[in-house]
Amino acid sequence: MHRTVPSLPLAPSVKVKLINAGFQVASDLIDMRPLQLCKEAGISQEEAVEVLQMLRDDGQPHQQRAATESLTALDLLHQEQALGSIVTFCSALDDALGGGVPVGKTTEICGSPGVGKTQLCMQLAVDVQIPVCFGGLGGKALYIDTEGSFLVQRVADMAEAAVQHCTLLAEDTEQRQALEELTVEKILSNIFLVRCHDYVELLAEVYLLPDFLSEHPEVRLVVIDSIAFPFRHDFEDLSQRTRLLNGLAQQLIQLATQHSVAVVLTNQMTTRVSNGQSKLVPALGESWGHAATQRLILHWEGLRRLASLYKSPSQMEATIQYQITVQGFRDAPDEPRPTPATSAVSSPSGNHSKHPRMEDRS
Amino acid sequence: MVILREGICPGINEEFIKALQSEDIKTVEDFVSCNPEELAQKCSLSYKALVAVRRVLLAQYTAFPVSGADLYEELLSSTAILSTGNPSLDKLLDSGLYTGEITELAGSPGSGKTQVCFSVAVNISHQLKQTVFYIDTKGGMCANRLLQMLQSKTPNMEEQMEALQKIKVLRVFDVFSLLACLQNLRSNGLQKASVGGGSVKALMVDSVSAVLSSMLGGKQNEGMSLLMQVAGELKMIARDFSIAVLVTNHVTKDGNGHLKAGLGQSWSHVPRTRVLLQRIEGAETSSLRTATLTKSSRQACHLVEGFDLCHWSEERRTSISGKRKLEERSKP
Repeated sequence: MHRTVPSLPLAPSVKVKLINAGFQVASDLIDMRPLQLCKEAGISQEEAVEVLQMLRDDGQPHQQRAATESLTALDLLHQEQALGSIVTFCSALDDALGGGVPVGKTTEICGSPGVGKTQLCMQLAVDVQIPVCFGGLGGKALYIDTEGSFLVQRVADMAEAAVQHCTLLAEDTEQRQALEELTVEKILSNIFLVRCHDYVELLAEVYLLPDFLSEHPEVRLVVIDSIAFPFRHDFEDLSQRTRLLNGLAQQLIQLATQHSVAVVLTNQMTTRVSNGQSKLVPALGESWGHAATQRLILHWEGLRRLASLYKSPSQMEATIQYQITVQGFRDAPDEPRPTPATSAVSSPSGNHSKHPRMEDRS
Repeated sequence: MVILREGICPGINEEFIKALQSEDIKTVEDFVSCNPEELAQKCSLSYKALVAVRRVLLAQYTAFPVSGADLYEELLSSTAILSTGNPSLDKLLDSGLYTGEITELAGSPGSGKTQVCFSVAVNISHQLKQTVFYIDTKGGMCANRLLQMLQSKTPNMEEQMEALQKIKVLRVFDVFSLLACLQNLRSNGLQKASVGGGSVKALMVDSVSAVLSSMLGGKQNEGMSLLMQVAGELKMIARDFSIAVLVTNHVTKDGNGHLKAGLGQSWSHVPRTRVLLQRIEGAETSSLRTATLTKSSRQACHLVEGFDLCHWSEERRTSISGKRKLEERSKP
């Protein structure tokens, strides 16, 4: 191994002692026995055992492969096509996102209270379970709730609507068979719910997620609703908060990539005052903006709900309109209907936003 | 500091080492900084043997000085300038990315750092036909987008696939894996890649701040050391293999509310050239961006160039036609 000792993931005090004893490269250490290392470097026996264990694990083919094997972009292309995405049942949003919420990436949903972030998360938890023959992923969902806003009755309504939608689409026998197994009870039983009360519980839960995902390889979606709530009160040291959030973001993207799950985070909004004007911006600070791979901002415009794709590595920026109905997260109707709509919010006539809109988001 | 082991030079055996260790001499440094006469008396080893070993060790481990003229010749023959494909950016960087140097792109979220990295990678792999290594730490690598960019350059499927094969992606998510990855590249990864066909000319790290920012500050005392190790590895790779290194960084606000690149003062000395990307005020939803040169050893600082992320290879036209192009593209 060509690793230098200062670059190994060990405690700093142990590393200082090893370096002072003259060990510079990992290959110097590999053939040593614990007692020998103990005497030469002046570290305790437990520390010596830990060091050698870590080096042995590092030499394992699995670990080596992660750091050394490179994929060509062509292989990555095939992998991405195989991963798929989770539909949101709002076709305008799906088009803007390039098919839906992508699996293997982190997506952040920001919005003011009541605009529909939790509704979208619950819709995604139902949509991830749509069987493969209908074009879905047929996977399970893990819902980490920090605010206590998860309502089972609402998810049941959405699940009911999803099953009805699939029933209308079923054409061949394979789909009809899959439909028999798709019941509201089954959908509810495939959502794992975790309730975290403060940031320590949240950090602990994310730390335990790799083991959980290894035991349940069918999980395709992890929702954290919301990630802002536990970090926005109770924190005196803001720089510590930034560090914790950055570490958390890296852990989440690692999970997303290694276990092929889509990670969805919800964020709140805060007001930023600059040049005498105030703007609504996503909370948790400037550096948190870099954390998620994709960022979706939901906002109001009068009575209409709009979603803007603010940051994405593969899609162009776009703003689309959506609405929340009894059935869940849906497209906004293009024209005003003559009959009273079943929607909770009716869109006013006028500007039809099939085209992405260029306007100020404040 | 190299530890004294038997076999690193003829004349050093087990007893020799034991005798030295009894005098608390464990490394080559300790050995050559001691007086051989005193050592011969204290350890009861032969003076001749000590002097001979000392001479061999000095010859093995010293660095030799190189004359400026030789260095200049070497630089002229090994440096290459890689065009980024965008004329405005090339103007800013004094015709492109220089091999042997680190260039940094900083910008707020959504300002286009990853898109610029993609465009540069596609240009190098397709136009210049060289291999590019892309280290992704944020999950932002999207091969679909690379394909989209290639499709706009050439309709030929074969060429697209060939170009995609020249871009090699490594995904690491924490600083220790990044260091392992860089050290592995330095010791055998890069040579293997150049043997396969198409020499490696560029390495991109997107982003270096994602893995380092959680280690800096507070009560942690390892952060700076890791930052410097990453910097050292990148510089060694750039120099030893004549590779252009492009890294991305996040931005923070300084005391007056202006944007500055992240990771602090110590990191600011590492890249040779630094560019700050920003959206244009008032046109927040368009794909137009401005690039400001914040550090350069070749051009005057604070040069600003505008460019359009959607139209990479074209010269920046006036703002009116830029908007018109934008409206054309937005029609489904």
